[in-house]
Parts: sequence; C-alpha cells; structure tokens
Amino acid sequence: MVKLEIDGQKIEVEEGTTILEASKKAHIKIPTLCYEENLSIFGGCRLCVVEIEGEDNLKPSCATMVQEGMVVQTHSPTVREVRKNLFELIIASHDIDCNLNCLTCSRSQNCDLREIAADIGVTEIRVPPLDKGYDVDESSFSIVREPNKCITCGRCIRKCEEIQGVGIFTTANRGPSTIVTTFEDKGIGNVECTNCGQCILACPTGALHEVYHYENVWDALHDKDKHVVVQTAPATRVAIAEPFGAEPGTVATGQMVAALRRLGFDKVFDTNFTADLTIMEEGTELIERINNEGTLPLFTSCSPGWIKFIEHQYPEYLDHVSSCKSPQQMFGAVAKSYYAEQHNIDKDDLVVVSIMPCTAKKFEAVRDEMKEDVDYSLTTRELSRMIKQAGIDIMNLEDEDYDQLLGVSSGAADIFGSSGGVMEAALRTAYEIITGTELDNIDFNNVRGLEGLKEGSVVINDMEIKVAVANGLGNARILLEKMKNGEEYHFIEFMACPGGCIGGGGQPLPASNEILEKRMEAIYDIDKNKKLRKSHENPMIKKIYEEYLGEPGGHKSHELLHTHYKERGI
Amino acid sequence: MSEKYFLKENMEKNVSDYDFSAFKKALKMGQNKVIKEIEDSGLKGRGGAGFPTGFKWKLASQQEADLKYFICNGDEGEPGTFKDRLLMEDSPVKVLEGIMIGAFAVGASQGYIYIRGEYAKPIKIFNKIIKEAKKEQVLGENIFGSDFSFEMKLIKGAGAYVCGDETSLINSIEGHRGISRIKPPYPIEKGLFDKPTVVNNVETLSCAAEIINQGSDTYNELGTENSRGTKLVCLSGDINEPGVYEVEFGSMTIREIIQEFGKGIKNNKELKFVIPGGISTSILSNDKIDIPYTYEDIEKAESSLGSGALIVVAKGHDLIDLMLNASRFYMDETCGTCFPCREGNRQVHHMLKKAMGKGIDHNKTELIKDIGKTIRLASRCGLGQSSLNFIGSVIDEYPNELLIGGVDNG
Repeated sequence: MVKLEIDGQKIEVEEGTTILEASKKAHIKIPTLCYEENLSIFGGCRLCVVEIEGEDNLKPSCATMVQEGMVVQTHSPTVREVRKNLFELIIASHDIDCNLNCLTCSRSQNCDLREIAADIGVTEIRVPPLDKGYDVDESSFSIVREPNKCITCGRCIRKCEEIQGVGIFTTANRGPSTIVTTFEDKGIGNVECTNCGQCILACPTGALHEVYHYENVWDALHDKDKHVVVQTAPATRVAIAEPFGAEPGTVATGQMVAALRRLGFDKVFDTNFTADLTIMEEGTELIERINNEGTLPLFTSCSPGWIKFIEHQYPEYLDHVSSCKSPQQMFGAVAKSYYAEQHNIDKDDLVVVSIMPCTAKKFEAVRDEMKEDVDYSLTTRELSRMIKQAGIDIMNLEDEDYDQLLGVSSGAADIFGSSGGVMEAALRTAYEIITGTELDNIDFNNVRGLEGLKEGSVVINDMEIKVAVANGLGNARILLEKMKNGEEYHFIEFMACPGGCIGGGGQPLPASNEILEKRMEAIYDIDKNKKLRKSHENPMIKKIYEEYLGEPGGHKSHELLHTHYKERGI
Repeated sequence: MSEKYFLKENMEKNVSDYDFSAFKKALKMGQNKVIKEIEDSGLKGRGGAGFPTGFKWKLASQQEADLKYFICNGDEGEPGTFKDRLLMEDSPVKVLEGIMIGAFAVGASQGYIYIRGEYAKPIKIFNKIIKEAKKEQVLGENIFGSDFSFEMKLIKGAGAYVCGDETSLINSIEGHRGISRIKPPYPIEKGLFDKPTVVNNVETLSCAAEIINQGSDTYNELGTENSRGTKLVCLSGDINEPGVYEVEFGSMTIREIIQEFGKGIKNNKELKFVIPGGISTSILSNDKIDIPYTYEDIEKAESSLGSGALIVVAKGHDLIDLMLNASRFYMDETCGTCFPCREGNRQVHHMLKKAMGKGIDHNKTELIKDIGKTIRLASRCGLGQSSLNFIGSVIDEYPNELLIGGVDNG
C-alpha cells in the first residue's frame, strides 16, 4: 500500500494505482477527455493534469502512478488556470460556430465537453473557433462521422483496436492536421467496419453517431396509407428509461409500449417473440448438426456486428454460423408474411420498424439477402429522441401490454439482451426437447456475467455438450484462435458488443461498466419474474408453427427464417 | 582568441586509418571504469536537455536484460543547430567509436544511428562507415579479440522534428508514428522494443570518445565546475562568419563569441538580441550577453544553452515576422498527440498571422502568454514544453514594439 496526500486528504491506495484512480477513491472528480476505463492510457488531452509537490511541470493524473509520500493538488490555482486555458483551445478546435450547431449535435443532450466546461467553470472563450473544413463521412449504412467535431482524443481508435480487435480507425498526418480517419481515407462504409457502434459510445463529442432513420419513421407514422408496426429488442427495455433521468437498470417495458402507441404505431410487437422463434430454429439446427455429424461448433447469428466481423476476418468459419436470421429479421419476415396475410394488409403498405440497442442492425436491414424484411431500424437513442420530440412523459405513463400475437414471449427471449442469454435460452430448450424431461434448474449461471469469455458444459443424454460465450469482438477473435489451436466446442454464442446487446452501440450514453452491470441485472430480473421462461413453451410460438410455419427447420421456416452469408475480405 | 580544440582533434573519415585507441582503452578499463571516467568528467548530454551522461550509462548498465540497445541520436532538428552534421561529416569514425564505447559500457549488443532524412551527406558517409567497420571487423563478433560483440544499423528519419525526442525516435525506429511516449517507464528501463535503451546525442558520444582517449582529468581542466570541457557552438544569423566553433566553457562571453568568431554583425548593424540555444530557448537582449558561455550563466539569465545554437539577430527585423516564422515551425512540427501543444501552437500561429504587418493588441499578447504557460506546464514532451519560449520572451522583452502602431525603437 502507498500513502499519499491528495488535496489535503491523507489516503492509502494500492501500489500501481494512478493519481486519477486514487482521487476517485478520495471522492475527487478530475476532468478527463481521452481517458476511458477499459482502454489503454493515451495521456493526450492533458485536462487531468495535477500539481505534484517538487515537480516543475504538471503531470497527467491518468498516466502518473502514486508514490509514497506524494503530495498532490488536483485543483490548485495553477491547475485551474491551465485547465481553463486548455479547454478554450479544445473548444476552438471543435467546430462550434454561429450556426448554433451545438443545438443540432447528436450529443446536445449529453455532451461530455459541456459537462467538463461546467466543472472547470469556463467563463470566456478568447480563441476563435477554427473551421477545419473536413467532409462528413456518410459512407456507412450504420455510422456517420463528422471529423470537424473530432478532437482526436483517440478513444474510438483504441476502442475499435483494443476492445473489438478490428482497428478500422487510425491517426493520420501531424500537427494541427492530425486527424482520425480510416485506411486511405476510404470511409467507414468501405473498410472492414462491423458497424458495432462501440466507437460512438467511446466518443466524448458528437463526431460519431448513427445514421438516423427516425425522420423516415415519422413520415411513415404520418402517412395514413401505411400500416406501421414496431418491434422492440430485448435490451431496449432496460435502457430506454435512462435518457429520461431514471436510474440505470430501470425496467420500462410497459411504459415503452405505451409510448410507442402514443407515437402512433398501429401495432406494438416484441422482437422477443422472434427471439423465442430463433431458439426453436437454432435449437433444431444444433440438434440436427449433432445428430447428423454436421459442422460443429455451431455459431450463433443474432449479432450483425459479429456476422460482418466473421465475414471479413474469418470467412473460413462461415460454415459454422447458424443459418437462422437474427430475431430482427425473423420478425420482419413473419410480419410481412404471416401477419400481413392474417390481417389482409397489402405488403407494400406495411412498414416494419425495429427499436434496437444496435447500430449494426441498420446495416443488417439492408443486406441483399433479406432487405425486404425490415424497413427502418432505430437505436434506443433514436427512440428516446422521438419520445422527447412528441412531448411524451414516458416515465409517468401507465404500463401497457404488447399486441397479440407477435408480442408474446418467454423469459428466455428477454435474456437475449445480455451476453450468455442466447446460449442459456438455447440450452433450456435443447435439453428438454432432446431428453423429454424437465430441467431441475433452468439458470445456467456459468454463462452469465460481463466477463468477455465464458465456458461451460452441459450433459444431455450422456453427451457432454461443450459451450462457450464471447462478447466483444476482441474476445471473439481470441476464441476463434483457440479453436484454430484445436480447442473443441459444440455451440458458441458470439456477441459483437461488450456485455452483449445491453452494451450495444445504439444504447443510451453514458455506458460505463457500472451501468452495463445494472442493465444486466435488470434483464435477469425480468426473466426471473416471468412465469413463461422457456421458448418452446411459448403458446404463440406453438400456434405459429401449427397455423403457418409447420415445423422448426421445415420448408416454410427455411424460406422465411433462414439466410446465408458471404466472404468479404480485408 | 581562438577555438579550443578538443572535439575537433583526431578528426578522421576512414575506418581503416583510425586506430580506435579510445575504444581499445575502454576494453582494457572494463565497463565500470569507463562509466566512472565519464561520470568524473561531468559530461552532460549535448542534445539540449543536458542530462548527465555518466549517470545515464550507470543506470542503463544496472538494468538486467537479455538484450540492450544503444542509439546515437543524429536527428539534429533544432533550428539553428548544425554541429552534429559537422561531426558526422568530418569526424564520423569518432562518432562510431563513441557509440561503441557507450554500448560496451552499458552492455548493449545492438545499436542504431538515427540520422535526420535531410542530412543526405551524413547518411551516405555512415552507410559507408558501417560497411567498412563490418569489413574491418570493428563491428561484429568479439571486437578486437574481446568478449564484446556489437551490431549496428542506420535509420533515416522521415523529417519530423519531434523524433529528436528520444521516445519519439524510438517509436519511429519501431515503425510507429513519431510521437513521444508517456514516461515513466524511461527508455533505460523499457525503450526500443521494450528493452533497456540508451539514446545519446552525436556530440555527446564524440566527447565521450575523446574523454576516454585523453582522460577525464584533461577534460576537467577545461571549462567551469558545472560546465566542463568544450562545446560546439553553431553560430548563425546576422553575422559575418557563421559556422561551428569549438568554445571552452567559461572562457568567453557570448558577445566575445559573436565578435571573435562571427566577426561581428553583418552590414555593421547593431545587435538586437541573441537566441542562445536554438529557437526552443528564450532570447537574451543586447544588454544581457556579456555573460560567460556556460550552462549556469545562461540559465541565470533565464534562458538555456540548449543544443548550442547561437542565433544572432540584428536590429531592423519585423518581430512579428520572426515570431510567425518560429510559430509556423512549431505548428507544423507538433506531433498532434497532446492537446495543448497541437491546439496552442495552431492558435498562436493563427493570431500572429493575423497580426502580420499590423501589430498585435495587448489582449492577444496576454493570450499568447497564457497559452504559452499552458503548453509549458501541461504538454507531454520537450517539444511542447519549450515551443513558446522564444515567442514568449520576445513579447516580454519588446511589449511596446509589437503593439498595433508600435515601432522598432531598439
């Protein structure tokens, strides 16, 4: 342990602690911009500098380790002056101009720079804003980049490289021309971006945001000739309350349904329904592959960021990926066939909107293989914008239920929103279908939690099924490399985002580890409190097979619910 | 007065004509004695920072590692500095000998000389020197029959000033962007490819070779208590005879150097100020240059001897033009990593550009000084920390001249 003094408080911390971490323990907030938990230390923004007794220069607290007897001042007059000056310079490089573009920024509601400005107590900006004159990168179906707002803190670069193991961003040029860009400045849509949107969560400014679809959705809602239905992904219900000031982990399923009705959606359905359907299809596929010596392990296919990752990086493993469409796409396919037929709605008049914790879903929705299924995919953040635009006081609405029949789901579907959930849901069903006996304990705790890599095994009819779960694409890569080195599994769940969909790139900001944990707890609470907790017991799933689809893995299912992938190269 | 030849002695251009007496002596002395000798000499790094060389070697020699690197920093980029070029062109074998002595002392088996890309001639020369040295078995296994083996490569810089900073230079050799690293860890613990690494300037290593050759006692007879030996001074600016002159520390004042070696100011103009250590240092006005040329006396005058670049500025120049010139350099050369340096130098350049031909108002000069303080206190490496020394000192010295409507009144 190391003893030191910070702002007059004597504290004791472990060796190897940074001054920033030690200050946090002493309940002192030091402003940071380029620092982010989980990422390597960059030490570029210098906002976190502190004064250390005996040192001539100020030191970045994020990159300076505590030492025995150190006397630190985190907010001395010099430090405050330097931070103010520094902040003036940062703001001048951030494309704020007379067009009030602060108001139209994607981060107008939760801007890190504004928060820091308030903390520092910035009272004047003496340096003129500089027009950097870069073009907006609109090459991607999922993500927009506005380089003029970028302050080159490098968080997106590190997130993509260190956490996701993809690395589409890099720093180019030097001096004030230093920019963050993609390989040969090709644009996000033309490199091996997986569209996961983790860079958006990392960005402290509005330089990165999703491609907005909500204006199109407003148009559809106001078009009297259109019948507009909406589906909500599992992870949205534990996050939608956050932009309205609720504590992270607040479950707002019923209020979200009520808000969606008020926005004018004709039917409010649940992606959970098709999550249950996915389990039936994917479970059947797993059983078939095991029984018929098919390609194993089977890889899940729900996460479109993961799918694009494997298409670029590990195309040799594409045979392993389940042919099941993701729940979003299954929903679109079922809505545009079964639902449209049942209600005599012309397919051309039916608009399917999805609310997703995800930016990659926008890309998935326009994939050639299935681009008719879903018309618009909105992030949780976009939905919160629409609710605000409509003046709906969501947190004071009475709970409402989803519409029948595409709105009925089991707890197994809810846990799709969290890393390990698809695996657990599949095991609940596969076990009972194969053995014909009921599980004593349906909680598979070893695949739960925020850990990046989880493994476990289940004995089904004397056969040991080895399973693994990876969340975050960096971990996906580790697992695939393990397989290359001979590790064997039967079934692997892959999710592009750390923590699974609860930590998706379309979720509200901020998204710290602590917030992810609370969302995860909320997801498992929903499951625990449901009577219906296994996909194959969902009565509406049974009904749709009886009335329309036939049997899991059957002809009709294959036509509607399955797809294929392609090698994309690097 | 004449130059004091210490470094400028034994200048040799061919490996085969050189007897490597200092290196052979070092082999006989053994590592510890060599380090002790350099420590006793009081030699300070000649790249600009002035870190005690013997102490650096001692720390590096104490590092336990399977591999250590020794790098000679020939990325001479400080505007006004051209003494390493002279040594690399006219005395390359002694530079090589210095590298070998240093590598032997700290236990490094692999070395690099990193030469700035614009130095075409030194690059050509060192390519030849390394080739010859390998052929003559001066580099390679068991050099001169000893246990010491050493390989060396030449790396060409790509034109970034920041790579003169040792951690940026290391990044550059590794193939990364030329940006400084967060310290600690220092290169002597974890440098090139994460191995203990010593980076020394060309002049420092030439000195080290000559110290071993002539002995630290001889060296100690030269200079003052805190500034031992001699220094290669790069004299440039508004003088009649610019060049590299070897000056014994403390033996002459700055004005004497200008008069004796530089043969006075061009066109019989009056001297206005000097920049005593390259444009990263603060100016000394005409009334402050009657001080002995030593580290300590220049520091007392609130500037720095830096790399030894003495730039002389006569009356008659537009001060804003001079500041703009320096500012343009720093704006282009900041690596872009740390915000105060990148944004500060950009803004200062912007303001000076606007002031060109018009003068600058008081609020702006105050702002430039605030930015200067911020960069000095908060940026990561020496480039940023010293980038506004020159501009800030001009503002302090000639506040009225810079103002809108102000005139050059000397």
